[in-house]
Amino acid sequence: MSANWAAENLHTIRTLMERSALYRRALAPVTMLTGVVGLAAGGVGWMTQCDSPRRFIQFWFAVACAALAGAFVVVRRQALRDKESFWSPPTRRVAQAMLPSLYVGLIAGALLWARADLEDIEATWMIIPVWMALYGAALHAAGFFMPRGIKVFGWLFIIGGTLLLLGLAFSPEPPEFRFTHVAMGAAFGGLHLAYGIYLHFTEKKHAS
Amino acid sequence: MNPEPFLQLDRVIHEKGRLAIMSLLAASPELAFTELRDALEMTDGNVTTHIRTLQEAGYVAVAKSYHNNRPLTTCSMTAAGRKAFADYISLLEQIVQQTKKP
Repeated sequence: MSANWAAENLHTIRTLMERSALYRRALAPVTMLTGVVGLAAGGVGWMTQCDSPRRFIQFWFAVACAALAGAFVVVRRQALRDKESFWSPPTRRVAQAMLPSLYVGLIAGALLWARADLEDIEATWMIIPVWMALYGAALHAAGFFMPRGIKVFGWLFIIGGTLLLLGLAFSPEPPEFRFTHVAMGAAFGGLHLAYGIYLHFTEKKHAS
Repeated sequence: MNPEPFLQLDRVIHEKGRLAIMSLLAASPELAFTELRDALEMTDGNVTTHIRTLQEAGYVAVAKSYHNNRPLTTCSMTAAGRKAFADYISLLEQIVQQTKKP
């Protein structure tokens, strides 16, 4: 019998408890809400002809803030219903895992906003696959602290972003500016809504 | 060194596999049988045996239900299990503290 043995057991217990504390709030409402916001924003962007890189960045930054605020409200309601704290250790780990990729995406957007020429359609097109890939990477990282499906969802964004990037690289000239909003709406809105509907029918009820 | 804490360790929990199951269940309201099996990389048979032992000791409750038309077995820690687990950890801490004393 030694202290090493007891200390190792305590360490193992701590590690296993941390691994077990997965983020288990119901994801269907959050992903469906984000999907609807994204699709609606894609339509609004298309109709209002938001057609400069700066306006594109401003518009989609506002959409991201709206989606984030909506997700916050939904998750907070779930936490209140389950009588749990909102900023729980699993929530904190998920946020920490997502932060680096989202930060890089924010900086890339800010650079485009600050430096792109007013008519730089190529740079605007290029930011979409970059955002998709970074968002996918953020989801994949969060997937280590969430149910397994999130990693696959992250990969969908990464692969989608890669395909869009390849398409843009091999096309003689980029599509019209207004299609950037369609791409954003389809990628972020469409994928979220599809995944949200899938979760709605498969996620365990009363997940907390 | 006083051997008392070591002798008091709960033998049901003290086994490596069961300790791992108790640790996972301590941090989660409930876990599916498959989640336990995957997290611990154990065989179905191993998990079943350990769960049965823990269930017989009154430390773990097992519920069977259906999810998406598939059978779902979930395990959760009982109040007695939570107390036994807390006592076990407290004894481990005592052992560590004892050997730190000069």
